[in-house]
Amino acid sequence: MASTVIGAGITIEGEVTADEDVVVQGTIRGKLSARDAVTVESGAVVEADVTSGPVSCAGAITGNITSTDRVDLQSGAKVVGNVKATRITIADGAQFKGNVDMDV
Amino acid sequence: MAHARTGRTSSSGEVSSIGAGTRIRGRVTGEGDLVIGGHVEGDVAVRGDVTIADGARCTSNVEGHAVVVAGELSGDVAASGPVTIGATARLRGNVHGATISLEDGASFAGRIDCDFELPEGLGDGRSAPARRR
Repeated sequence: MASTVIGAGITIEGEVTADEDVVVQGTIRGKLSARDAVTVESGAVVEADVTSGPVSCAGAITGNITSTDRVDLQSGAKVVGNVKATRITIADGAQFKGNVDMDV
Repeated sequence: MAHARTGRTSSSGEVSSIGAGTRIRGRVTGEGDLVIGGHVEGDVAVRGDVTIADGARCTSNVEGHAVVVAGELSGDVAASGPVTIGATARLRGNVHGATISLEDGASFAGRIDCDFELPEGLGDGRSAPARRR
């Protein structure tokens, strides 16, 4: 139950800071920090550095992803940027360009 | 309680919500309805309805269709539809809308500007203090 939902028609230009889950269906340009999970749905565009808990991405993220938990790039995801997380999955069909840092 | 009033009027698109634990510094634009429960510093301009829920804090100029203010808002409201300033609202700014209702208990400092045509015979003869060009 996410309490913050950025709907498909909505664009945010600036900084988003959340103490709760964030679901992105629209566009965020700037910076996205969440204490909890971030879900970037298919069709969503995030042009921002993402700092959060678990990240699940089926949309497009341009920016670095830093997660305290896991990052799942689902089929259809398009990610350009570096990913730092404890666990990472990249599904078949996901497009990814960048470095992976799993803190080994 | 504040959501229910506009939730039914134009559910054309999807509803976006800014939760109570979320803070946005920047501009929010686009289509669809928007419910703000958190903090927003920056202008909000959407095609759909905007609800600033009780507990929300906004420092923004707000543009939308139907606008409900039940939280704290510093900034102007420009609505193409009705504006409701709820009982729990603390609003500092000018309000422009098709119709405006100000509920008992609301705290409001600003100007109310409502588009309407004066009935014939009114407005020309005497100087109406409410209308200024």
